[in-house]
Amino acid sequence: MIEIDQLHKKFGDTEVLKGISLTIAPGEVVSILGASGSGKSTLMRCMNGLAGLNGGSLLIDGLDVSKPRELREIRKRCATVFQHFNLYPHLSVLENITLAPIDVLGRKKAEVEAEAFALLKQVGLADRADAYPGQLSGGQKQRIGICRALAMQPRYLLLDEVTSALDPEMTGEVLDVLAALARSGTTMIFVTHEIAFAREISSRIVFLDDGVVRADMPTDRFFAEDGGYGDERIARFLAKMRNK
Amino acid sequence: MRNQGFNWHDPILWAQGLGVSVGVFAASMILGSLIGIFIALCRVYKVPVVAPLLLVISEFLKNSPVLVQLFLVFFGVPVLLQVNITPAEAAIFTLTGNTAAFIAVIAISAMDALDRGQLEAARSFGHSERSILRKIIAPQALVVAMPALIGLAVNQLQVTSLISAIGVIDLTKVGQILNQRTWQPFIVWAIIGVTYFVLSRVLAMAGGRIENRLRRHMDWAGL
Repeated sequence: MIEIDQLHKKFGDTEVLKGISLTIAPGEVVSILGASGSGKSTLMRCMNGLAGLNGGSLLIDGLDVSKPRELREIRKRCATVFQHFNLYPHLSVLENITLAPIDVLGRKKAEVEAEAFALLKQVGLADRADAYPGQLSGGQKQRIGICRALAMQPRYLLLDEVTSALDPEMTGEVLDVLAALARSGTTMIFVTHEIAFAREISSRIVFLDDGVVRADMPTDRFFAEDGGYGDERIARFLAKMRNK
Repeated sequence: MRNQGFNWHDPILWAQGLGVSVGVFAASMILGSLIGIFIALCRVYKVPVVAPLLLVISEFLKNSPVLVQLFLVFFGVPVLLQVNITPAEAAIFTLTGNTAAFIAVIAISAMDALDRGQLEAARSFGHSERSILRKIIAPQALVVAMPALIGLAVNQLQVTSLISAIGVIDLTKVGQILNQRTWQPFIVWAIIGVTYFVLSRVLAMAGGRIENRLRRHMDWAGL
């Protein structure tokens, strides 16, 4: 369970998150939508402790992100996939995937490697285990990024605009992997600009606008004429995204 | 002063001088690297008090002549602290400090050159700062730093010739001794010069090989 209560975050004098409250239950697939600068990515960075809080609280399974010891435990349960992949360039694909399970969870290398190969097979990259990130295309890198996160066997998967840095052709291959994951019951929190995809796979949509939650409703309600779509601000956003 | 020719003892003297030069160089390079990396880490992780203090010291070491530093340590420190210090100790102490200051600069810029995103990823996966440093930062920073490190090593080797000024019997001092005795400056200094040249080339080539090996492994790392 992720419980966010009156979360505030400032960068200098600019308040980016102005009191966000949100509860996400295990098994939910939640998409966080919003224009650039609405605070989506910052919210996600607060969840994995990459950004500190300036007010309010953020608990994951009852653990407080602002307490270093509890954050360490949280990070074993939440894995992040990043917009710019952020793979380790000096390590092979296999090493990228197995580093955290071995180093952070203290698991056995042979065991973790076997799982890594299974994950690679799942995303169609079984033959690239020995390659280095620099040898891969963007779409392949992001699939490795997903494998790296899944190798931690996380309860919560945080996905931060994972297709934004990819060209449309490669976006498809990554989204296919994510759609399969969503069906498998992993709790997923998406920050995304892929409206159609969000609509297809998520059970709930959270719309952020200027640092506050403007809408938080089941996906079908969000896209209904008398639901989120009825909100003038949201309708404007959706229209703009469709024209892109 | 009598003018005498070379004798059978001179090659031994040359070898001794060579040994002293290489020894002082190696000792100051190794100790200097350790201290330099320590300084760099204090600065990168912004350790309070220590980091700014080390900054002042390393700025002084980088921006004053090595010869002056040698004189300060060899003549000044014994007076200040009422201790005896041998020329060799003063030489190693000074060159270690000087090397450390430059290693720190190289290490800091090499660490700065790495992409921040992968460090954030490592943090988000719960790696400790220590293991991020060992497994992510250090191997990549070393590749980035290699060319600068090789350049520094070659330069510091030449700098060791200054220690002859405080009486260490290094290669240059041996040159002075032989020159005074034989009055054959062209031959003596040519031999000494070639010795430094060969040492420098060997050093640069060895460094180049290590760099190539590191790079081959990381050909695709885009570093």
